[in-house]
Amino acid sequence: MARRNSPEADFDRRLLLAAGAGTAVFATLVGRLSQLQLIESDRYTKLAAENHVRLVLAPPERGQILDRFARPLASQRQAGRVSVIPERLKDPEATLRQIAEHIDLPETRMKRVLEEIAASRIRRSGFVPVTVVQELSYEEFARLRVRAVEMEGVDVQMASTRSYPRGRDFAHILGYVARASADDLTRLAEGRAPEDLETFEELFRHPDMRVGRQGMERYAEDWLRGRPGRRRVVTNAHGRPMEELEQDPANAAVAGKDLYITIDSELQRVAIDRFEGESGAAVVLDIASGDVLAMVSTPAFDPNAFVNGISGKDYAELRDNTMSPLYPRAHGGVYPPGSTFKMVVATAALEAGVIDTKTRFTCHGRMWFGGRNWHCHKKGGHGSVDLHNGIKLSCDVYFYQVARLAGVDKIAEVARKFGFGEDWVLGMTGGRGGLVPDRAWKRKARNEEWFEGETLNFGIGQGQLGVTPVQLALMTARIAAEGKHFKPRLIGLGPEVPEDGDLDMPLDAEIMKLMKSGMFGVTSEPGGTAYRSGDLGLGGPRLAGKTGTAQVRNISAAERVSGVRTGDAIARELRDHALFVAYAPTDNPRYAISVVVEHGEGGSRTAAPVARDILAAAIKMDSGRTPAYSKRAATKAPATDGKPEGDPV
Amino acid sequence: MSREGFTGFTRGEARVSAARGVYFDRFGPFGKIARLPWSIILLIVGTGLVGTAMLFSVGWDPVTAAPSPDEANLWRDHITRLAVGFVLMIGLALLPLSAWSRLAFPAYAAVIILLVLVDFFGVMGGGAARWLKLGPIQIQPSEPAKLAVTMAVASFYQRMMPTNGQSPPLYVHGGALLLVLIPAALVFKQPNLSTALALTASGAMIIFFAGISMRYVLAAIAIGLLSVPAIYTFVLEPYQRERVDTLIAGITGESTNGLGESYQIEQAKIAIGAGGFSGRGYLQGIQSQQEYVPEQHTDFILTIIAEEFGFIGALALLSVFAFLFAWSFMVASKNRSWFGRLATVGATSTIAFFAIFNSGMVLGLLPVLGMPLPLISYGGTALITVMACFGLILSAHLHRDEKLSTRGLF
Repeated sequence: MARRNSPEADFDRRLLLAAGAGTAVFATLVGRLSQLQLIESDRYTKLAAENHVRLVLAPPERGQILDRFARPLASQRQAGRVSVIPERLKDPEATLRQIAEHIDLPETRMKRVLEEIAASRIRRSGFVPVTVVQELSYEEFARLRVRAVEMEGVDVQMASTRSYPRGRDFAHILGYVARASADDLTRLAEGRAPEDLETFEELFRHPDMRVGRQGMERYAEDWLRGRPGRRRVVTNAHGRPMEELEQDPANAAVAGKDLYITIDSELQRVAIDRFEGESGAAVVLDIASGDVLAMVSTPAFDPNAFVNGISGKDYAELRDNTMSPLYPRAHGGVYPPGSTFKMVVATAALEAGVIDTKTRFTCHGRMWFGGRNWHCHKKGGHGSVDLHNGIKLSCDVYFYQVARLAGVDKIAEVARKFGFGEDWVLGMTGGRGGLVPDRAWKRKARNEEWFEGETLNFGIGQGQLGVTPVQLALMTARIAAEGKHFKPRLIGLGPEVPEDGDLDMPLDAEIMKLMKSGMFGVTSEPGGTAYRSGDLGLGGPRLAGKTGTAQVRNISAAERVSGVRTGDAIARELRDHALFVAYAPTDNPRYAISVVVEHGEGGSRTAAPVARDILAAAIKMDSGRTPAYSKRAATKAPATDGKPEGDPV
Repeated sequence: MSREGFTGFTRGEARVSAARGVYFDRFGPFGKIARLPWSIILLIVGTGLVGTAMLFSVGWDPVTAAPSPDEANLWRDHITRLAVGFVLMIGLALLPLSAWSRLAFPAYAAVIILLVLVDFFGVMGGGAARWLKLGPIQIQPSEPAKLAVTMAVASFYQRMMPTNGQSPPLYVHGGALLLVLIPAALVFKQPNLSTALALTASGAMIIFFAGISMRYVLAAIAIGLLSVPAIYTFVLEPYQRERVDTLIAGITGESTNGLGESYQIEQAKIAIGAGGFSGRGYLQGIQSQQEYVPEQHTDFILTIIAEEFGFIGALALLSVFAFLFAWSFMVASKNRSWFGRLATVGATSTIAFFAIFNSGMVLGLLPVLGMPLPLISYGGTALITVMACFGLILSAHLHRDEKLSTRGLF
């Protein structure tokens, strides 16, 4: 028997003590376990359930853009797409090589995809598909679809992508969509509440989501976008969807609204073809409604190339092209209007009462003023010229005199009444207002007084004056409509364009009739500067117009003497621009047009035939007939109050 | 009373032991195997298999209704290690205590060398140098250190125990404390606070059981409690302090928002609470199957047991551990040698320390300190160490009547 005080006996006692302490610890643990699992279990069960249900964003389908007769110009197209799910790939590179056996997959793209896969593994987001090729050709899709069944983690399916079936034809009007960049997000985020921003960022991170980056796609972003929905999904801690739950219809995505533009895409096509590869612009207006029926800027680019991200090389090619295909000439190209501006000068002088129809000036081919000779385009001079002949013959000396009498500020005032100097947004981006100079502008911009000589230059549409083809078409339409109130429109059914006012400042109908008479003379009276272009070739209706030549640079005295001013003798980019404005038919004007052929040299020679053929096509195709959306608007009466309902939050 | 007049004999077990000795002599090592407490071994291995099953559940992908390829290695590794550990445990159980005691100091020296090497050549893992690469095998010397220190301290007392039936003098306890604190300090330096604490705790338990005066025990507890604020301020790393803050906030019910560890503890509590009384069923834990609890295959594996098998399952597991520890205490009590007794309580304390600390941590009662749940958590070195500790306890059971000499240190 061990002694009571022996270490052995003490050991047993201490064992009991420790066992007692252990029992207390055990009781504490079990107590805590009961608290969590028995008493508070309901609360934690609820918390667990809430942990898992997530509202996953469902992107809306973007609205279509259609032309006047409901032909699709920008639409959502189903295209084959191949993506990989990183967490299901054993050897990502081997899988990609397998894919590359069936489709065209460049090495650079493969490298980028591998980087994305590696990144997603680090982020533990391996369940989020990584797109390998956004748009497969139909053959590639069919081929890969069959093969992908055997490839673990490869997903081939149809996905919605933005498509521009008319390609280049509408590039400068519609612009394009692209994956949202940080800049896009900042732009869209402006003025939104912070809680909306989160949704916004989440929405635009979605691989199917695009944002209007340029053109009407950008201007009408809110109209087209629609509202994202929310799908109730059970997800795990890393956001991976585990199970779909029953969906609440109120949370479904709302597709964006369709947008109609006033353009007749067939007329647009005819107009583009007519340029035959020359760079330039043309704008056709419906005089009665103010609808833009065609708006051409050539050359153009293919917006489809931008939707899924254009390569740096391709973009550089577009950017550095000497023909500037990215440049929106019709509404963003600023040119000196040349002689097409003479109607404005004449109107200003008539309004001011400094001339009348009988006022005559004699043209000797030049005029001495301010210590230098001011030349007329006709070397020998036009002799005695009145208003009608001044326009018909485009006599420069006549308009030097008229401009002097009217004064710069009066001409500028009338030019603004015609819509010059104003940026006609019409629902696009990249537009410019040009410049209508006057004394105040000169003082402000140059800190100089206006020289009388500049007024002379102004009188023949040269100098500081800069106008866009859109403005020229508007001027022509107003003359043809004899000064009636006018509201140009490019969006037929879509958001309002509050930036654009109406052209409603009064123009005297009698004066406009005089202008029309002069323009009729240009094309239909012998001696008119575009006499040969008056006949539309439709066996009756004629057009009335006005030629113009915009100097790209000053003519030197030596060239004037030698006569070498045109043709192959000088480099293309130094040749003058050819302009022509016109309306037709002359007896009951329906269409107005402006044409600029860059470096086309002579308005009558190159621009007038283009304008004539486009007008003839418009009349023949009856481009201005009732648009598809007007019936639609009358019967279904969708929200045309101009408030975009496509707001996502 | 002489050392031969030992507790066990006086309780009338001498005859039984003698009979078993004959049995052993007649049938050799196989007889010894037959005399192993197989029901206890079954319990140990069964607990390990529960770990395997839970690791299978952790690696389960409920969407594909198949094991997730990334995590299929979890249960396979575990069951392999369990098999290796089982063989090792049985092998060690057959080792006589004299052999254990002889191996104690060499093992201790080897562990100290490895720990020093880790400080210089260790592979970084989780922000600390804990691993040593030996060819294809990575070992964590702090794990075998738990067993080696227990053996060394127990062997030390065996050799230093006075023959006059008195408790050892104070300097012997001091020597034992030194044996504990040297490796503990090396491990603490890695830094590996949890293992340093485990080493110190099981060492302290051995010293306590070796009969140090209760005065010192109480004094140590008092000093320990008083030094808590100082340790908190000067010893703990900022991340460790944060864990303590989170814990206190969690227990007192304050908001734990903004505290780094709160997410893990909160998710663990949700998983446990969501299990309720009977659990959601195997592979059915919504919180666990959707990976809301971080480190669920290692330190937080108790959460998936609690969620899928509920209060019943968690209570059963804790009870199994409690039973194994109680049984081990019985083994200690019945052993004839000081080495056997002290090594058994040391090994038991090591395992119990992890079991208690891990459960307390997962249940939000103790700070988060990287403690695996013995036999269950994923992690090779820890599993093997625990099996080896059980091997020692089983050996002490098998060799309870073995006499060891008290021949001094050398």
